[in-house]
Amino acid sequence: MVEVKNLGYDSWQTVYFQRASVILTELVLVFALRYFVQTTPLAEQKLSHAAALSILLSPGLLIIDHIHFQYNGMMYGLLVLSLALARKQSTMLHGGLLFGTLLCFKHIYLYLAPAYFVFLLSGYCLSQKSIFRIRFINCLQLGAGLLAIFGIAFGPYIYLGQTQQLLSRLFPFSRGLCHAYWAPNVWALYSFIDRILITVAPRLGLQVKSEALQSVTRGLVGDTAFAVLPDITPRMTFVLTLLFQSLALVKLFLKPTWEVFIGAITLCGYASFLFGWHVHEKAILLVVIPFGLIVLKDRRYLGAFRPLAVAGHVSLFPLLFTEAEYPIKTTYTVFWLVLFLLAFDKLAPAASKARVFFLDRVSLLYIAISIPLILYCSLVHNLIFGARYEFLPLMFISTYSAAGVVGSWIGFLVVYFTS
Amino acid sequence: MSAHKPRKKPQKDDHDGNAASESVKTVVQVDATSQKPTFPLAAFYWPARSGVSQWTVIPLTLIVAGLLRWATSFWGYSGFDTPPMHGDFEAQRHWMEITTKLPVARWYFYNLDYWGLDYPPLTAYHSWLIGILGSFLNPKWFALDSSRGLESPDLKLFMRVTVIVSEYLIYIPSLVIFNRRLAKQSGLNTWQTSVALMAILLQPSTILIDHAHFQYNTVMLGFTLAAMANMLADRLLWSCVFFVAALGFKQMALYYAPVVFAYLLGVCLQPKINPTRLIAIAITTVASFAVVFAPLLVGASYNHYRDQNLAQQLPKPVLLDFVLEKLPVKIESGHFLYPVVLQLAQSIHRIFPLARGLFEDKVANVWCAIHTVYKLNRFSIAFLSRLSLLTTLVALSPSVFVLLLAPKKKLIPYAFASCAWSFFLCSFQVHEKSVLLPLLPMTSLLAGRHGLYPEVRAWIGWANVLGTWTMYPLLKRDELRVPYAVWTLLWMYLLALSPASDSTYSSRSGLSVFTKALHLCSYAIMVAWHIVEAFVSPPDGKPDLWVVINCVIGAAGFGICYLWCTWQLILHSDLLRRFGIPGSTELHRETYTFQSSRVELQKKTV
Repeated sequence: MVEVKNLGYDSWQTVYFQRASVILTELVLVFALRYFVQTTPLAEQKLSHAAALSILLSPGLLIIDHIHFQYNGMMYGLLVLSLALARKQSTMLHGGLLFGTLLCFKHIYLYLAPAYFVFLLSGYCLSQKSIFRIRFINCLQLGAGLLAIFGIAFGPYIYLGQTQQLLSRLFPFSRGLCHAYWAPNVWALYSFIDRILITVAPRLGLQVKSEALQSVTRGLVGDTAFAVLPDITPRMTFVLTLLFQSLALVKLFLKPTWEVFIGAITLCGYASFLFGWHVHEKAILLVVIPFGLIVLKDRRYLGAFRPLAVAGHVSLFPLLFTEAEYPIKTTYTVFWLVLFLLAFDKLAPAASKARVFFLDRVSLLYIAISIPLILYCSLVHNLIFGARYEFLPLMFISTYSAAGVVGSWIGFLVVYFTS
Repeated sequence: MSAHKPRKKPQKDDHDGNAASESVKTVVQVDATSQKPTFPLAAFYWPARSGVSQWTVIPLTLIVAGLLRWATSFWGYSGFDTPPMHGDFEAQRHWMEITTKLPVARWYFYNLDYWGLDYPPLTAYHSWLIGILGSFLNPKWFALDSSRGLESPDLKLFMRVTVIVSEYLIYIPSLVIFNRRLAKQSGLNTWQTSVALMAILLQPSTILIDHAHFQYNTVMLGFTLAAMANMLADRLLWSCVFFVAALGFKQMALYYAPVVFAYLLGVCLQPKINPTRLIAIAITTVASFAVVFAPLLVGASYNHYRDQNLAQQLPKPVLLDFVLEKLPVKIESGHFLYPVVLQLAQSIHRIFPLARGLFEDKVANVWCAIHTVYKLNRFSIAFLSRLSLLTTLVALSPSVFVLLLAPKKKLIPYAFASCAWSFFLCSFQVHEKSVLLPLLPMTSLLAGRHGLYPEVRAWIGWANVLGTWTMYPLLKRDELRVPYAVWTLLWMYLLALSPASDSTYSSRSGLSVFTKALHLCSYAIMVAWHIVEAFVSPPDGKPDLWVVINCVIGAAGFGICYLWCTWQLILHSDLLRRFGIPGSTELHRETYTFQSSRVELQKKTV
C-alpha cells in the first residue's frame, strides 16, 4: 500500500486517486482467491491457501499494477473467480459467463478462450457419459448468456459503425513481432540466435541481409528484422500458437476434469506467450497465475514452476528503470521467491511418478545464474560500458528468461501429459 | 569480562506446558482442538513456528522491514521547497558540505546562523564520510556554499540510501542481537523472538522520522541497543564503548545516561564492592570519549599549527574564558593546548545550547502543557532551567535508585524507558522527535517476559500510537499525512489494537478495566482530534489551538507511560518484597528464567 508514489507528471490528486483505485479494485482478486480457497476440498485447503497467498503477493502484480500502473489485479481476480466457479458443475455456467465478461474487459484473455471453449463443450454442453449426447438446455443457457454479454459490450460500437476501428485497435498486427523490450519467448531466443549468426555467418557462408544490419535500433523498437534467419509473419505465429494449444486441448476434451482444465489454461497461456505476435512481457502473468493455482498438486508441478517463477519475474525488471525503484523490484522479488519457493517445497506432496534428478539440478543452476545476471545488468554493465550497448542487458535478460520459460513449458508439458 | 562463555540453554518455555490454563494470556489461543494466534503479526509468522531455520526467517524479516522503509522514503522530506532555511534534510546535507570542504578547526565555527554544526563529533565524521562518497558520485551535491538548498531527485535518492545503509549497518544488527538475547533470557521461544523482532522493526515513529522526515536517529539508537545488548551479555566495558558512541553521535542519548551510570555503578557495588571493575569502567569511558574527540582535536591542532592566525579569525566561544580560568595551568593563545581547549569549548557550547528556551516548538511535555494554562515566560531562563533540572532529577530518581539497589538485567529496558520518559517530560529544550528515545526501550519490552501478552502489548502499542500522533503536526508540515496514516493503521492492525471483536481489548484477553478504558478512550480522542483538525478551522487569534490540544493530551498520555514503565520497573525489581511490602503476589509465584546479576556475578571473577 505504501508504494503509492509521486510520478511527477501529474497533480498529486490524480496520482492519489488512480493509485487508490488500483488498490481498491484489487479487492476483486482478494475475494476471488478467498472463494477459490473455500471451494477447495477440505484436505487440500492448506495448500490452496498458500497458493492463493503467492498469487495475491505476486511481484508481477506489484511491479505491473502498483508501480508501472495497470489494473491487472482486478482482471486476474475475475479470471481466478471464473476458474474457481468452473470447478463445480452447478456453477460452471457462471464461470463461463464471467469469462465472457472478462474478455470484454481485456481481450488478452482471448488466448485462454480455446481451453474454456473445449472445457465447457466437453464438460458442460456434452454429457459426461458419452460425447454424442448433447445437453441442449445447457447449450442454450451458455449461448444466450454469452450473446447477451457481448451484445452489451460491443453492441453500441457496431451500431455506430466503428467495428473496423475497434478491431484495428484491439488486434495491432501492424506492430512488430517483438515488443519494445523483448518478451522472453521463442522469438527472443530466435533473434538471439540471429544475432550470434551475424558474427558467425561469414564463416559458414550464409547470406546476411544488409538492410537488417543497418537498423541501429534493433531489439529496442518494435520493428524486428532478422539478418540471417527467415522473417516471421503473423500467420506463422498464429498457426504455431494454435498448434501447441490444440495439443493440450485434445487431452482436455477427453478428460474434462478441473485439474486438467487448469493445466490446459496454463498451456494455452504458455503457447500464446511463447509463440504469439507482439507479446508484451506483462503477459507472463497469463501463465504464472493459472499455474499458481495448481502448483501444489505435487512436486513435479513445482519442479516445472520454479524456473518459470524466476524467469517470469526477472523478465519484468526492465519495465522499471529508475534507480529508486530498483531496490523495490529486486528485493521484493527475491523475498517472494525465497518465501514461496521454500514454503512450496515444504508443502508440496510427493509425486506419484518419479522425477528426473538431473532436471532438478539444472533448474537449481538456472536459478543460481539469475543472481550474477541481475547484478551485471543493473550495475556492472553501467560501470563498464556506461550508456553504450544499451541493448546488451536487455538481450541477456530476455534470453535468460526465455530459456527459463521454454524449459518450464517443456517440463510442464511432460507433467500434463503423463499425469 | 570479555572471555568467551558457552551460551546457556534457555529454560523450557512454559507456554506449551500449561498453555491451556493460560490460554487467554498467551500469544496463541487454544480451543479444544486447535491453536491459533491472537494477533495478526503472530499470524503472519504462524507458518514459521516450527521447522523453519532462523537463516530464512531473519533475512525475510529484514527484507520486509527494508522494503517498507524504502517505500516510505519515496515521500517528501522536511523542508522540501521551503527556502531560505529548508529543514532537517538541508541541515544534514549542509554538514556533509562543511565537513568535506573545510579544515577541521572550522567545523564548529562556520556560518553558525545557517545550520551550524551542533551535534557531537561522531555525527561530523559520519557526515564527512557520506560527503566524501557523495562528492565522488556528483561534486555538485556538496560544493561549498553553492550547493545550499539543493533539491535534485538524485541527491534525495543518495541521502535516502545513506539513511537506510547506516541503519542496516548499526541499528539492525544491534537490534537483532539485543532482541535475541533479551528474548532468550526472558524465556521466549524462537518463534516469539521473531514476532517481537518484526514488531520492534515496525515502530511507526522511528520509520517516519528517519526515512520520511529525514534524520539519522537510528544510528544513535543502534549504538544504545548495542550498549544494552552488551549489558545483557555482561560485557560491561563494551557497553561503555557503545554508549559513549551513542552520546558521541547525538547528545540526546543523555536521556539514558543516568541509568547507564546507575547500572554500571550498581554491578560494581553489589553483591560486594568491586573496585577493579569500577576503575576499568571509568578508564574505558574516558578513553572512549578521548577516541571520539581525538580526530577533531588532533585535526584542529594541526590546522592551527599550519595557520598561526587561525585562532584570531575564529570567534571566541562563550565558555572559553570560563574554562581557561578554571584550569590549573595557564594557557594563552599561543600555547599548544589552546586550540584543544578552544575546540572543546566551542563544540560543547554548540552541542548543549543552554541559551535557548525551555521548549522550542510545541512539544508534548510537562512544560508545554503547563505553559498553555500558566504562562512560563514570566520566569527567567536561569530559574526555568534549574526548575527543569530539579524536576527531571526527581522523575528519574526511581529508575536510578532501583538499578543501584538491584542491578538486574531484566530491569534494563524498564529503567531505560522510565529514565528517558522523565527526560522527555521534564527536561530543557525537548524536541517532539525526542519521543523516539523513550519509545525504543519501551517497545523492546515486546521481547521481554510476557512481552507478547495482551497486557504488555496493549501498553506498548498504545504508547507508540500516541507518540506518532503527537508528531502529526510535524509530519503534516512535511506533507506526510498518507504515510502517517498507513504506518499507524498498519501498526494497530498488526498488534490487534482496534476495538474489533477479536482484538487485544476484547473480553478474552483479560486486560484490567482501567487499562481498557484508558486506551479505548484515548484512541477515541485521537480519532476525534483528527476529525476536528481536518474539518474545523481554529478560532480567531488561536491558530495553534489544535496543536496545543494535541500536546496537552500527549503530555498526559506520556506521563501515564512514564508511570507505567516506572511501576513495572519497581514490580519486577522484587524490591517491594525485599522491603516486605506485599502487593505483587502474582510475581512471587513466577520462577524467573532471568538469573539475577547477583548470582551470576558471584560465579565470575573480573
